[in-house]
Amino acid sequence: MYGHFWPVLPFRYRQVASELGVLMDLLPDRLPWFIAGPLLGLLVVGFFLFTNQPLGATGAYAETSKAVRRVPGAVVWRVWYFVGIALGGFIAVSLKETGFDPRSGYDILTQSGEGNFGLSLPVAALVIFVGAVVMGYGARMSGGCTSGHGICGTAQRSPASWAAMMTFMASAVATTFIINQVV
Amino acid sequence: MKSSTKFNIIGLLFGAGFGFVLGAANLHEYTTIHNMLSLEEFDVFGLMGLAIGTSLPLLAIFERAKVKTVLAGTLSLSRSKVQKHHVVGGAIFGIGWAVSGTCPAPALVMLASGAGLAAVTIAGLFVGLGLRDAQTSRAAGGAVTQGDGEHRTTVGVGN
Repeated sequence: MYGHFWPVLPFRYRQVASELGVLMDLLPDRLPWFIAGPLLGLLVVGFFLFTNQPLGATGAYAETSKAVRRVPGAVVWRVWYFVGIALGGFIAVSLKETGFDPRSGYDILTQSGEGNFGLSLPVAALVIFVGAVVMGYGARMSGGCTSGHGICGTAQRSPASWAAMMTFMASAVATTFIINQVV
Repeated sequence: MKSSTKFNIIGLLFGAGFGFVLGAANLHEYTTIHNMLSLEEFDVFGLMGLAIGTSLPLLAIFERAKVKTVLAGTLSLSRSKVQKHHVVGGAIFGIGWAVSGTCPAPALVMLASGAGLAAVTIAGLFVGLGLRDAQTSRAAGGAVTQGDGEHRTTVGVGN
């Protein structure tokens, strides 16, 4: 009844859970912003109270990269943090009606029609890759990303983080405006 | 328990909490970020505003009270002066953010939610970070720029 092939089990876990009577639809499709925002703020404060460190993602990528390449001095707990983000996200989507949903994730880019970009899959992948390289380069140069500068740095009242956040917000809105004009 | 083990557990737990909130609020969906940056939907701006609005005053109070953190001594916040690389890097980051429709942490949640192309995003992020690190180490012999949003190396602490 679960499929006889163990590799499919991870994708059928919601079915398994419902047959076992485990409640899975605990989360709404989208937790309202006015609940998620303060929760995120409390996580930032809690993380500081434990580790005296910002809850930023760029640092986690940098340390994970070092750990994978076996560069001496890599901060191992940042790797655990990196893994934790994915794990927590998996738990969250599992508790929604949709559950784990194998898909491209970039339907707007790959599908055609009104408001979509209609790119072929390889072209879409190339665009996303280049965008991500630019994003990673910029985050490392700036010393933080949306979580690091945008929330943790601003919450520390860091002038550098406030400047970085206002710059990347403006640049992202401008870039999106251009993208929307072209499409 | 060893201090490094405690750090690992706290890192995993808070990472999971962070990823959970991102996933619960749908920040891992391309459309959420695209609609935000198209200024069609203000939820994410409100979310970030409330996150800052909650954490900024609490951190200020705890800083003034010289609160001892559990694993790493007295709470110390960093407030760097604005330098060119913060702003230029931010501008570059924003372009990539708009194109790939996700930022570094939500990209991980995106992949964990089943979005296959997020693997491309994550790979690109590693490449971009690596390019910047290679550039700075060529220029300054190993010194890497650190900002107030990144991991910081605190003196005398087991991290």
